[in-house]
Amino acid sequence: MNQEELNKKISEIKDKLIGYEQPLDNRIYLSCESENSYALNKFLFEDVPLRFVIATGIDSEDCFEILYHYAYDQTGCVITLKTFIRDRENPAVESISPFLPAAEWIEREIHDLLGIEIKNHPDMRRLILADDWPEGVYPLRKEVKK
Amino acid sequence: MSWRIKYLKKSPWVFHVNVGACNNCDIEVVNLLTPKFDVERFGIKLVGSPRHADALLVTGVGTRQAAIRLREVYRQTSKPCAVFLIGACACDTGIFHSGYHVEGPVDNIIKEVDPNAIIAYVPGCPPKPEAIISGVVKALSAI
Repeated sequence: MNQEELNKKISEIKDKLIGYEQPLDNRIYLSCESENSYALNKFLFEDVPLRFVIATGIDSEDCFEILYHYAYDQTGCVITLKTFIRDRENPAVESISPFLPAAEWIEREIHDLLGIEIKNHPDMRRLILADDWPEGVYPLRKEVKK
Repeated sequence: MSWRIKYLKKSPWVFHVNVGACNNCDIEVVNLLTPKFDVERFGIKLVGSPRHADALLVTGVGTRQAAIRLREVYRQTSKPCAVFLIGACACDTGIFHSGYHVEGPVDNIIKEVDPNAIIAYVPGCPPKPEAIISGVVKALSAI
């Protein structure tokens, strides 16, 4: 399908989103809360369908954000789903690895470096921190100094 | 020991260790063996085990995970051996000096095992292959 059909297909889930931006023809930003992240990712991966590229974790001052990036190769469009995690004391989000095994490693890395708990992950082991790195110290959080 | 040092200079066999490099310095080190720069005419050979080596070529800033392994590799290298630190990251951590995983510049890691280690520094990012050859020749003739 071409770009207009893609825009129409993505508008089907507009009621679950809190933000929809399309600054360029081939760049779409969707925002949602962490409760809807599993259902929206499942829709984007299976029903549209799109190709999963990577996920990004951000530590904003008052919340955490996880961005899931998807690509639509027929038109070269990149769609980003921004998930806000409002609880800074115990951040948690549902894992998308049960239907998207490609996301296993990036979720392990986000858990290692930012401390966001990923529920129902099939294989949550340490990925990139050293074996003797202390538990509970998450290096990429804003308040951690060396 | 002096005849061992004398023959160390003649045709050193090297072992390449990467302790957390971005791989640019590794590419330059492997370039040395290609026909353009060809260090095999000096008798320098890349060996597969530190026990066969006369010199260690170390690239990369010393990360926490790799420092343990580097000390073990240095202990297993047959003495006397020379250690060449290739690149700005190995010489003094380069741009990663405040990283969360950086254990320290590589010469501190090696001096914990052996305070009298022979260490030579080849700075650059990455150093040109001609610079690496010139560094190795200068260091070996100064021992």
